[in-house]
Amino acid sequence: MIVLDKITIRFGGLVALDAVSAEFTAAVSGIIGPNGAGKTTTMNLISGFITPTSGKVLVDGDDILRMPPHQRTRWGLRRSFQREQIADDLSVWENVLAITDNLPGSRSDRRTEAEQAIDFAGVGKLRHRLGASLNTYERRLTDLARCFAGRPRLIMLDEPAGGLSPEETDHLGALVVRMARLSDAKVLVIDHDVDLIQRICSETLVLDFGRRIAFGPTREVLNDPAVKAAYLGVEHA
Amino acid sequence: MKVTGLLAAFAVIAVIGLLPTILGGQWIGIFISTTCFAFAAMGAGFMYSRLGMVSLAQVALMGLGGWVTLRLNHATDLPFEVNLLGGAVATAVLGMLLALPALRMRGLYLALVTLMVAGGLEVVFTAFQFPNGGAGFWGVGTSFSAPMRRPTIAPDDANYLRYCLAVLVLGFLLIEAHRRSAPGRAWALIRRSEAAALASGVNVTFYKTWAFGLSGLLAGAGGGLLAASLGLLDAATFRASESVLLFALVIVGGARFWYGAILTAFLYRVAPGLLNTWGVDADLALVFFGAALLHAVMTAPDGIAGQINDLLGKVRKEQTRDRA
Repeated sequence: MIVLDKITIRFGGLVALDAVSAEFTAAVSGIIGPNGAGKTTTMNLISGFITPTSGKVLVDGDDILRMPPHQRTRWGLRRSFQREQIADDLSVWENVLAITDNLPGSRSDRRTEAEQAIDFAGVGKLRHRLGASLNTYERRLTDLARCFAGRPRLIMLDEPAGGLSPEETDHLGALVVRMARLSDAKVLVIDHDVDLIQRICSETLVLDFGRRIAFGPTREVLNDPAVKAAYLGVEHA
Repeated sequence: MKVTGLLAAFAVIAVIGLLPTILGGQWIGIFISTTCFAFAAMGAGFMYSRLGMVSLAQVALMGLGGWVTLRLNHATDLPFEVNLLGGAVATAVLGMLLALPALRMRGLYLALVTLMVAGGLEVVFTAFQFPNGGAGFWGVGTSFSAPMRRPTIAPDDANYLRYCLAVLVLGFLLIEAHRRSAPGRAWALIRRSEAAALASGVNVTFYKTWAFGLSGLLAGAGGGLLAASLGLLDAATFRASESVLLFALVIVGGARFWYGAILTAFLYRVAPGLLNTWGVDADLALVFFGAALLHAVMTAPDGIAGQINDLLGKVRKEQTRDRA
């Protein structure tokens, strides 16, 4: 279970997150909201790039905000970014190894984990290709392989379907669901594609201007008049 | 691939064996100096191409390696190799220590911090000079100069050049071993973005410090080898402006490729030597370097080495097409 407990983040006078609380219990959950709602800020907080003004984040009871950012990966945190972060001068295989290098276990264990991640994402044929030569979809799949590598406990995907065609988005969505099933990790997804969120996320948190405006089963949340007004642009009666 | 590797190894052995025989007189000395500065160029190029960090202190760090090697030589009876290692390790440690306050900076600010370090070392070298066997901590005597030991297997200049080239190959292999293993992958992620590196579990502070240390180790080794080549060192060799010039030439030579460091050192030491031989003022080289830097910045971001690599790539492609 992922618990966001009254998270508040202030940047000077700007309140980026205002006492946001939520308890994600589903295997795959979503965070949606208009631009500037605080979605990526939430992920950056969990990653350790931002220190909260107040509040806690507990994952399966572990207070992960107490760990230094790089040790969160060792603990089991994985994430992708809106703009994928594949190193251009490393091959697909090396990009995945760059994660497993920092995980516990022997060298052979880590290589096996990287191998499994490559197989999972279906990028085995690309393993020797340099990051610079990959197209957007191949880069996104490599990102998924990196997130699946090792024994992840919490995977955060920030707009994983950005720039993909509908067919590619479908395949990626199926991989995300499979990722949660195979790894026992909780997956948090941010995306503007509401269809994708509806299809793969059982629970969804909706943020607007740093405040929680809805949280619960995705279908119910998307039918919430406040969500329609804030996010989908429908007038709130 | 194995055949290519064997051919490369054969070529390296041939160059090490034959180069000192082909060269004569003053050129052996110039090539020893070129080899020593190739260490500093290698370190600066590796920091720039792998991490995107600009170090403007490489020549100054060479001076530090030379200082420690000379000091150990005059203070102890240890063999040259131990003194050289001592100089290289001491420079690596200082490089790491100097890196710590600079780790939160990037780009221009980091470059300025390294330049200030170079300036500080220049002041120290100018004020206290290099050890020559005198008494006290600084080891500087005014009326004499004790001999600097060379490796027992390379007492003369020709063999010493071979020795320096062999150590240079070890330096390249050390960088390549890093590139192919966890540090190389961590550095590639840090260059992509520090956020991506942190999210991949990379300890950014540790790996950046390591990079500074490795770069210092190489520069220190170059300085130690230069000390044994000349017998004593002069503060004017390690001015901060020399570090800036060397970095500019790293851009011209090409930081991404190993032979870029050799091209850089050639430009830095051999080009002025050639101009002298032709009876032209060696300072004219600075004008050529400025023009070459402009050319590299505008049209060849990977420098001369990048252009050679592109050319080789085209030749290989054409050969493949012909075979098909």
